[in-house]
Amino acid sequence: MAEVLRSLRPGSGGDPAAAGARALGVPGVAVSVFPRSPDGVGAVRAPEPLWCFPELSLRFEELQFTLGEGPGPDAVRAGIPVLEPDLRLVAPDRWPVFLAAAQQLGVHGVCCFPLALGGARIGLLTLLCDGSGPLSDIQLQDTNTLTAALIASLLGDRGPLDGLSSMNGGPVGSDGAAGHDGDGLWPPEGLRRAVVHQATGMISVQLDTTLAQALVRLRAYAYSSGRPLGDVAEDVVARRLRFEGAMDDDGNGPHSPDGGEG
Amino acid sequence: MAREQRLAEVFVEIADSLIDDFDVLDLLQRLSARCVELLGVSAAGILLADADGELQVIAASDEHTRLLELFARQHDQGPCMECFRSGAARTNIDLRNSGAAADWPRFTPRAREIGYVTTHAIPLRLRDRVVGALNLFQRTDRRLAEDEIALAQALADVATITILQQRSLEQSHVVNTQLNSALSSRILVEQVKGVLAERWNTSVDDAFHAFRSYARSHHLRLTDLARHVVDGSFDTAVIPAPEAGPEAGPAA
Repeated sequence: MAEVLRSLRPGSGGDPAAAGARALGVPGVAVSVFPRSPDGVGAVRAPEPLWCFPELSLRFEELQFTLGEGPGPDAVRAGIPVLEPDLRLVAPDRWPVFLAAAQQLGVHGVCCFPLALGGARIGLLTLLCDGSGPLSDIQLQDTNTLTAALIASLLGDRGPLDGLSSMNGGPVGSDGAAGHDGDGLWPPEGLRRAVVHQATGMISVQLDTTLAQALVRLRAYAYSSGRPLGDVAEDVVARRLRFEGAMDDDGNGPHSPDGGEG
Repeated sequence: MAREQRLAEVFVEIADSLIDDFDVLDLLQRLSARCVELLGVSAAGILLADADGELQVIAASDEHTRLLELFARQHDQGPCMECFRSGAARTNIDLRNSGAAADWPRFTPRAREIGYVTTHAIPLRLRDRVVGALNLFQRTDRRLAEDEIALAQALADVATITILQQRSLEQSHVVNTQLNSALSSRILVEQVKGVLAERWNTSVDDAFHAFRSYARSHHLRLTDLARHVVDGSFDTAVIPAPEAGPEAGPAA
């Protein structure tokens, strides 16, 4: 599991899916993330594969989201894990098209875990199983750890979604990173504080965007200004700091409302 | 009303809720409020361990953010963390004691600032496993007696059952899923507080108050309504917005 966590660090060059499959002892792992959607705050979009190992898991991921049925789409819709480690035991009418197609592809079982923080939906972790039985308690515990690490990494300042914040007018400080000792990703600093989630909700309204994007923006701002996430969140909740501007505009970072319209 | 009679009523109320399709956050919040009432303490909160074994607040007798933040400070230190790690109750802890400040430098001063002088931590236990803690705060130094601590443990046990919903307790992955789901609901509710506060230009605490009143008066599950707010399928304009105003006062 340590290898997996290392592989999530930016610039490590590691493959989290391959490392995850080795650590969990499963035949395949896929991590998919929701793309940024300019219009669909409410719409349920399909996540897109980000890391897949081996090739089979990529083909499986594409299959279930192309068909729009299967454990992955169900996990995304319901926001809870869907565990079907042996597809032979699934009632045929549950996913009529998917079941036959998955087995034809050579997938014997699958367990899907949503990657989300409350209403901030980030993506999906899919484990391919060999069909020999349910995941063990240790595998499930490790999966919990991996899920938490993936959420932290995907929301991270220099994680895979980082382009979103810097390309969207987030305040990218030239020297703002000073004082941070590295990745800033793990453990997910500040995410236990209520005020961070409250601020995320407020920013999502200010920017008319998803909760996940709002949280990425908040973290990016905290990172570039060299301040703890919780402190920045407190400023947002106390209305000392606002995030404004459309997501696609340039240069619209947050600003203090002092001296403004009040 | 005699405490015994009130106590019987509380357990009947909780048992009734468990039979229905209940909302875990709402029930735990009620349970926290009942702890305050029955034990004569100033505040109560329920904390659960997350996947990393750190404690997160799941419900409190009072949703004021200052109180939530105090519970959150115990994610890695404080009486709750010690109770969680050892599985043993930590009761009648005097926060004015220099030992408390030395042991928990991030937690104790904040608790004192709010005006608390005594705290207690009671484990949430499922057989040999500890899944979290019930945390109590008092503004006075009245000691909780043995029978009151036993009552606190009984209420903590009810909280555990509520969270784990009685089913398939043997399967630890089911336990983990239910713990994660409760923690996730908690985060969702905080996000919705922010969404509503921004739409209504009120404090998050006032926003939550209006939101919860609406959910209760319409018999809607708090978590379901929160999810519908977030995914845009519920028009929040139908909720009477609280009057915009300054932040509410400190936690009771």
